[in-house]
Amino acid sequence: MTAPASMGDGNKSRGGVVYKDKSKPTDVRHSNINAAKAVCDAIRTSLGPRGMDKMIQSSNGEVTITNDGATILKQMNVIHPAAKMLVELSRAQDVEAGDGTTTVVVIAGALLNAAEKLLSRGIHPTAISESFQRAASHAVEILTSISTPIQLDNREQLVKSASTSLNSKVVSQQSSLLAPLAVDAVLKVVEPGREQVVSLTDIKVLKQIGGTVEDTELIEGLVFPQRIANVNGPKRIEKAKIGFIQFCISPPKTDMDHNVVVSDYAAMDRVLKEERTYILNIVKQIKKAGCNVLLIQKSILRDAVSDLALHFLDKIKCMVIKDIEREDVEFVCKSLGCRPIASLDHFTPENLVTAELVEEIGVGGSRMVKITGAQNAGKTVTLLVRGSNKLVLEEADRSLHDALCVIRCLVRKKALIAGGGSPEIELALRLAALADKKEGIDAICLRAYANALEIVPFTLAENAGLNPIQTVTELRNRHAKGETSAGINVRKGTISDILEENVVQPLLVTVSAISFATETVRSILKIDDI
Amino acid sequence: MSIFASPLSVAGTRTSGAPVRTQNVMAAASIANIVKSSLGPVGLDKMLVDDIGDVTVTNDGATILRLLEVEHPAAKILVELAQLQDEEVGDGTTSVVIIAAELLKNADELVKQKIHPTSIISGYRLACKEACRYIQDNLTIPVEELNRTCIINVARTAMSSKIIGSDADLFSTMVVDAANAIKVLDSSKNTIYPIKAVNILKAHGRSARESLLVQGYALNCTVASQAMPKKIVHAKIACLDFSLQKAKMKMGVQVLIKDPNQLEGIRNRELDITKERIQKILQTGVNVVLVTGGIDDLCLKYFVESGAMAVRRVKKADLKRIAKATGATFLTSLTNMDGDECFESSMIGEAAEVVQERISDDELILIKGPKARTAASIILRGPNDFYCDEMERSVHDALCAVKRVLESKSVVAGGGSVEAALSIYLENFATTLSSREQLAIAEFAKSLLIIPKTLAVNAAQDATDLVAKLRAYQNTSQTKVDLANLKWVGLDLLQGTVRDNKKAGVLEPTVSKVKSLKFATEAAITILRIDDVIKLDPEQRADKSYKHAMESGELYD
Repeated sequence: MTAPASMGDGNKSRGGVVYKDKSKPTDVRHSNINAAKAVCDAIRTSLGPRGMDKMIQSSNGEVTITNDGATILKQMNVIHPAAKMLVELSRAQDVEAGDGTTTVVVIAGALLNAAEKLLSRGIHPTAISESFQRAASHAVEILTSISTPIQLDNREQLVKSASTSLNSKVVSQQSSLLAPLAVDAVLKVVEPGREQVVSLTDIKVLKQIGGTVEDTELIEGLVFPQRIANVNGPKRIEKAKIGFIQFCISPPKTDMDHNVVVSDYAAMDRVLKEERTYILNIVKQIKKAGCNVLLIQKSILRDAVSDLALHFLDKIKCMVIKDIEREDVEFVCKSLGCRPIASLDHFTPENLVTAELVEEIGVGGSRMVKITGAQNAGKTVTLLVRGSNKLVLEEADRSLHDALCVIRCLVRKKALIAGGGSPEIELALRLAALADKKEGIDAICLRAYANALEIVPFTLAENAGLNPIQTVTELRNRHAKGETSAGINVRKGTISDILEENVVQPLLVTVSAISFATETVRSILKIDDI
Repeated sequence: MSIFASPLSVAGTRTSGAPVRTQNVMAAASIANIVKSSLGPVGLDKMLVDDIGDVTVTNDGATILRLLEVEHPAAKILVELAQLQDEEVGDGTTSVVIIAAELLKNADELVKQKIHPTSIISGYRLACKEACRYIQDNLTIPVEELNRTCIINVARTAMSSKIIGSDADLFSTMVVDAANAIKVLDSSKNTIYPIKAVNILKAHGRSARESLLVQGYALNCTVASQAMPKKIVHAKIACLDFSLQKAKMKMGVQVLIKDPNQLEGIRNRELDITKERIQKILQTGVNVVLVTGGIDDLCLKYFVESGAMAVRRVKKADLKRIAKATGATFLTSLTNMDGDECFESSMIGEAAEVVQERISDDELILIKGPKARTAASIILRGPNDFYCDEMERSVHDALCAVKRVLESKSVVAGGGSVEAALSIYLENFATTLSSREQLAIAEFAKSLLIIPKTLAVNAAQDATDLVAKLRAYQNTSQTKVDLANLKWVGLDLLQGTVRDNKKAGVLEPTVSKVKSLKFATEAAITILRIDDVIKLDPEQRADKSYKHAMESGELYD
């Protein structure tokens, strides 16, 4: 990389010599490019299977250990506005593709570096920007042409790409276990014919400390992190009839300015008795409907279920799970195939759903409720992630999220490309060839763009402790000979056919990384004043 | 790399590369150094004084670390590790921290020799997997061939390092009896030992030797009124989770009377509601009433009149267990399905005897011989409160160890025997590999030796000599088939020799060993993978500037 000292100088001169109008845009650009490059350098070391983790202690003392580019940048709290753009970039990649958040920033940094050199040659920023845009669209075309389509029933391929994504994380050793989990989870929630809208909200990830990451499991059904609310009710119900209510089973409160006035002692008994009969009525209705598992939405205004109501529900042997968060309602309904019951009048047998088994299970130190075998279950799954400490657990969760995103990308766009720096080097070669056919500024910019893409294999090699120059040149050589799938085999430290090593990634990830990075670089280039 | 740190203006400090790793390893090592001297039967205790002056004297690794206010994030991981071991296993909290720190120290050495951390990590993983497999295959003793004495030995080993080690005979039988008393079958017909059900009460005064196990339930409460009987044979018990107090109207219900004569009526009615409840309960022949809430003094007379014992402010958790043990129904309300209040005789639990006894300054209520199932309570005596607290922790550790053995039905030999065996095995295993992992596995093997070494050092024995001897025995057991029995050989710390620890009865639960290896490896790996630390400044600065703005704003006005 180039000397960063210029940025400090740039700042000074901008502050001190304001009247030198002409030099200002250049300085601003320099400062922006340097800040962005610094961000890129900060997370470069976490790229690839041999990448390392960052430990970030946030301002409130909380510690995060992560390998995920988006998370690192989010936590890092950078100040420079241009650096913030890169943070946004990484977040955009996280939202769109879910994976490749480090890659996108590394590419953006390299492109900026290239742009800086072009600027110093006196090429106008707009020209560079235009030609980068053209280069990016060429790149996307080339990527699509070298991708291989896959079928969703080819589970093996999907597992391969999930494990490629997991390989750079803390949980890499468990990738053989987590990758199939991720694939199964996504495939379960895919609705045939509506692949485009597959949503990860249908996969609920529960984190539970204790055990090791190997104990992570996929649960077909529903798991609630609460315990059963009953005092001495049943702990296990087979052939359960489940009702999901949104109203409360507790004595109604009067409004602030209303009062029940009691004027003789006989009325006191009536008040007490009225309260009992009110609740009893609800409970009897529940019993009449044949419900034996009751899910109750959390209520902040009053007790969702009063002690007295629990007592009655115990008596009719009805299991109660309370405090279901409002945002989980949709998920619960979808997975059980039920409708939430908002008032007692609707509490009828038609609105109940049946499940094979509802039971309280002990996981680690805590207990949770598991519902399995719902009769008309929707397409949802629950992943129970375990880890030996909080930091590992959270990182496992993030890694699993990335893996899920990778599979989602494949479901949306059914095409794979090789990993291990192979597509980037292929792009570099083909774009360079294209540059030879052009003339003028375009040719120079295109060539610079092509060279910049080599940063990905370069960094991969560097992080793996290989000689980057040797590796990248050899890789280029192999690709020039027509081995389009040659890539860096980080484990063995050699160049080999990366497809045989099962290192594959979804096309969507790389395509969006390249187009996002280019767009961000273009917008940074266009800034000439802060 | 560091030159790039300057343009990247983060609100905080950032360090990266080798210094980070060394720093983290140092932090981990210093944590381990703190607890090191408390490992093993001859380990010493720590006295911790917190910021409000509370004193804790303990030998338990998890407790020591919990009370330390550790700031370094890497050190925090180790503290959490000890906590996790405490939750999952209950014992072996000190050794897990020592192993993790040693793994880190040796890994740092390897990194300095230019071996990539990821190679070390995969080597450690492999070693851990192999070690666990080897323990399961070769080093376990199935509990079927163990009798009660062996289980007592497990308890004795667990408490040998603790304050009650000298009275291990008394306490180990006590712990095993208690664990057996609370045995239950869970829904899938497995025997489980919910050790939380063992009620441990502390009462200072008298010596530790006079601690006793009560076959029944001990409650740290007294009868509500001195006029009540202190002892009831053939007790019929009602467990109520509500107050027997004057009925109060709910919020929003106002009592308004126009005639002063009615006032008395209302007051009477308030009392009568409770009186009726009490009478309904007493009519069924109940003579012991345990209530989680309060009982009005006015209502006490009904109990006294009918010769019943009433106890108020019983802890809810206690009452639930009593209800289970005596077969009583844990009642949250008297209401039946018709909306009326009633108390049925099916809700009564029974016990052979309920008695209030004086132990030191405190009066305790003992429920002996519950009908439905057995229960156990341990009353610990000790010269002072610190002693009692530490005894409680030690008994808890021993109970956990016994529970693990009874549930998993396998034990391993203690006294550094397993670690030495694994170290020999892994060293041989390392030489069969021709990859970079070889070195890491060898270091893993070396790291495990820290346990016997520390044990010997703490016992003021010649560590080098003893460990060498131990390794020699273990090596013979693995190379010569006919001498395989030597694999039980471990350290005898009092004599400063090696001996067959299986025969000597130094046994530990297998689960504890396997889990501590797994947890320690995972924690070490987490720390090893870090190569960059970003510390953000505390947010207070923003507060201050806001204040400044306010102040300056006020100045302008």
